[in-house]
Amino acid sequence: MAVICERFLENETIKEKVYVATLDPGLEVFVFPKKGYNKKYASFATQFGSIDNTFYVEGKEDLLEVPDGVAHFLEHKLFEGENGNVFDEFARLGASANAYTNFTMTNYLFSSTDHFEKCFDLLLNFVQEPYFTAESVEKEKGIIAQEIRMYEDNPGWRLFFNLLSCLYEVHPVRKDIAGTVESIMEIDEEVLYKCYRTFYHPSNMALFVVGDLEPEKVIHQVLDNLEKRNYQPLGDIKRIYPEEPQNVREKCIREKMEVSQPLLNLGFKDRKVGFTGRELFKKELASELLLEILFGKASETYTGLYEEGLINDRFGTSFVGEKDYGYSIMGGETPDPDKLYQALLSSIKKYAQGFREEDFERQRRKMLGEFLRNFNSLEFIANNFLYYHFRNNNLFDFVNLLEEITLEDIHARFGELFDENYHSCSIISSNGG
Amino acid sequence: MSDFKNYTLPNGINLHIYPTEKFKTIVYSIFLHQNLKKELAAKTALLPYVLERGSKNWPTTRELVITLENLYGADIITEVLKRGERQIVQFILEIVNPVYVQGNGSLEKKGLEVLKDILTNPVVEGDGFKESYVNREKEILVNQVKGLINDKVTYAMERCIQEMCREEDYGVYRLGRLEDLEHMDSSELYSYYQKFLNTAPMDIFVLGNVDTEQTLSLMEETFNFSRGDMFPLEPTLVYKDVEEPRYVEERLEVNQGKLTLGYRTNTLVKDEDYYPLVMCNGILGAFPHSKLFQNVREKASLAYYASSRLEKDKGIMLIASGIETGNYEKALEIIQQQVESMKSGEISEEEFESTRVGLINSVKVMDDSPYQIISRYLSGIISDRQETQEEIIEQINRVRVEDVVRAADKIQLDTIYFLRNKD
Repeated sequence: MAVICERFLENETIKEKVYVATLDPGLEVFVFPKKGYNKKYASFATQFGSIDNTFYVEGKEDLLEVPDGVAHFLEHKLFEGENGNVFDEFARLGASANAYTNFTMTNYLFSSTDHFEKCFDLLLNFVQEPYFTAESVEKEKGIIAQEIRMYEDNPGWRLFFNLLSCLYEVHPVRKDIAGTVESIMEIDEEVLYKCYRTFYHPSNMALFVVGDLEPEKVIHQVLDNLEKRNYQPLGDIKRIYPEEPQNVREKCIREKMEVSQPLLNLGFKDRKVGFTGRELFKKELASELLLEILFGKASETYTGLYEEGLINDRFGTSFVGEKDYGYSIMGGETPDPDKLYQALLSSIKKYAQGFREEDFERQRRKMLGEFLRNFNSLEFIANNFLYYHFRNNNLFDFVNLLEEITLEDIHARFGELFDENYHSCSIISSNGG
Repeated sequence: MSDFKNYTLPNGINLHIYPTEKFKTIVYSIFLHQNLKKELAAKTALLPYVLERGSKNWPTTRELVITLENLYGADIITEVLKRGERQIVQFILEIVNPVYVQGNGSLEKKGLEVLKDILTNPVVEGDGFKESYVNREKEILVNQVKGLINDKVTYAMERCIQEMCREEDYGVYRLGRLEDLEHMDSSELYSYYQKFLNTAPMDIFVLGNVDTEQTLSLMEETFNFSRGDMFPLEPTLVYKDVEEPRYVEERLEVNQGKLTLGYRTNTLVKDEDYYPLVMCNGILGAFPHSKLFQNVREKASLAYYASSRLEKDKGIMLIASGIETGNYEKALEIIQQQVESMKSGEISEEEFESTRVGLINSVKVMDDSPYQIISRYLSGIISDRQETQEEIIEQINRVRVEDVVRAADKIQLDTIYFLRNKD
């Protein structure tokens, strides 16, 4: 075992520094010292999310197709070790552990103020030591079924996934992260082990640690831990996604639920995909700037809709850009979803003539301020560094990229992203009950 | 020793300054306290909504937002809190520490100017707030109160509290009653606000990379308006004997049933048994190692979440879990068994120790967030038990199993609230 490469990244604006080491067989370890913080936060993440349901390893087994919800199921089960529940072991040390799964990654984390080294070893060990039995897999199905039921009653969640199921014809991003009560019933310990052996290889993972810590010591602890495990190199993981057409699947989807007021999400499918690295990051920032200019609280659209009573202050926008897909969403609660839908579409058209330089500069300034502010939070730092790392980016690039973006980039993004032919809308209305 | 330096301004406002270089931002937080009363609550809650719409110098939301965005996205946020039988209106200004952005030495001053203008210089028409703002914000508030039902997890807990405390001030929702909003006019609201600002007990916090002396004089200069005598804050009703627990059922179109149990702890934050009660709640249901999570979720596989939490300023404890409707009896039985085991002292050393260190951890991490540092100090003001991190930890460490049993023994089930499907 050895350190393949060691370096550090820093940013003069944020005045922070992160140490990075690449350890054999390909694990990236980040240590971000945060002086004066009591909390230490560590996360161990794999590039395995809900969309990774068809894959193979180069030079190895055949193509594998797994039931929906496996990544999330595996996340639940990894907390159960041969000697019981890992939560309990963290609890004995006063630490709290958790994990989450999204479309593209699974992240295991803990935070503690004392006994960092013991907790860190615990994290390293439990993520690298799967223990699945038929009995424990069965038991977990009841728990996850209740988790799925809970989300079924969550209007915001339904609104979002209904929209994705309209925007995408075949791409697995259209499916719920946890799968369905039916799909998880197909999961057994064998499929969990198969996924584990592929996606939990160190070369597909990264570690991020932040807190008042010494980088050398942390990196050394990881080295010691990996040394005994005798990892063999793994071929490239090939993820197979179905060919997604540019067109949306459906224009509009409606569902009735117990809500006090209807909800609307309008989504645009980004057809300019295929980027990674800086280009992807830049596209994301340009899209976010654009959304702020169009729909932010200072925009004419927002002010007008608010006065008209069509939106409230929880109206919001977001952009997600991955290598193979991207979308922007805008929406919120509204008394009249159909009217809001039309109003949003026509407000976008007004911008075809152009944008004001001052709006652009002001939003850029605001985004920088908000970015800086987020560095108060260890959770933000760790989760976002990992997120961008898995896209071949470095979170610190945010500052330079934001500076690089021009008004022309915003114009270009506007043309690419807001084509009326590539949108869908999702509406949740009250069942009147 | 606390890191806050405390002052009282000539107009009776309490000022708390916490200089620290730890954070990237400077936080200013203003709290105005009011007694929680059903006829006042909606009126009080509406105030920050209207005030945030604009001020004399920045009379529209758009102008306000543009000014704040230019200050590197400075944020002014307002909140309405309920702590015990007290309603608190909070105004927060968070700005980037000027050392991170070049040539912007006056960020603090400009931000404070806006904050002050919002608070003391509202847009007035005739003898009231600007009417169109009041009307629109009334609508927004009505929708927000009605919108509670959208999140079933929170809704079930709030409904349990409302049922349990229906004859007490605490049963009033944080944002008040809908019927009070209907015929509230802008002049009535404005005169209420003038009186409120003039006589409400008020705390201002400043936390971040600031110089204490400079901040003190800046705040004296900014908040120099004259005020009258402050109205008294009433104590919260905490002790209550329950004769017979009440069962309340509500039916909605839902997939998952929400079982919520409301208990009277009969322990006040100032009581000797407070930290034993905190330990009791921890062992019972505040952590993944706690009895509820272990027994309802891990062993019986009945739920994804099962936990307990304290509303410490009211002295009540809530247990909440999301289950299949058909599993109601089973889940209720397991939950009640866990509470009983607390009373009879069936507490393993591991449960006790894990809870102790878990609580200490949660106390320590509060120091890593500007908002939590302020929140802890504010809690000390509300409960009249002001303690430093070290003092809290020391008291947690002093708790023994018999103390926990004593605190558990005072806990009484008051209300079982079950939200379920319609069939």
